[in-house]
Amino acid sequence: MDNSPPPPSNESPPPQPPPPQATHTGSPTDFLKGVVGKRVIVRLTSGVDYRGLLSCLDGYMNIALEQTEEHVNGVVTNRYGDAFIRGNNVLYISAAEPI
Amino acid sequence: MDLSSSGIQEPFDLIRLSLSERVFVKLRGDRELTGILHAYDGHMNLIMSDVEETILIVDTDSVPTGQGVLQVAKRKMEMLFVRGDGVILVSPPART
Repeated sequence: MDNSPPPPSNESPPPQPPPPQATHTGSPTDFLKGVVGKRVIVRLTSGVDYRGLLSCLDGYMNIALEQTEEHVNGVVTNRYGDAFIRGNNVLYISAAEPI
Repeated sequence: MDLSSSGIQEPFDLIRLSLSERVFVKLRGDRELTGILHAYDGHMNLIMSDVEETILIVDTDSVPTGQGVLQVAKRKMEMLFVRGDGVILVSPPART
């Protein structure tokens, strides 16, 4: 008694999902490319936040910010026209405006 | 991608443009420096001169739940090598 394999299904393959919206998906690199030139919040591992305009960043996640405000416990503690942040201190980069 | 008014393509450009200028450096351990930047490298090792170091001493014992008492110590150094791994932030003078 041979059990023949089930006949091939006549169903068509499931439809492809619609192409995702480019602004809300993508790799971490895509996100970082998207936030350059935008206002961001950079949190360091120490808990200090830097809010400013993201000029550029590199592979070490070194960051150049413009119009930077330093926030500690929600209080502005310093302002810098420009600031270089060494990448090893960065915990996250958050977009502070729509990408 | 050209940013408005700034010829900066990578973060180190900010440091390069600050050579021979007085910069503010924030270090680990609640220390800050201001001084003339003479040289740097990819680790952010720095050579600075005419440096004033500001050490923030937070005394958490004297206040039960508050911020603690802030005490500031300052000292000056003629010439300084800063090891890069201690650097948190470098701020150049305002660009014109």
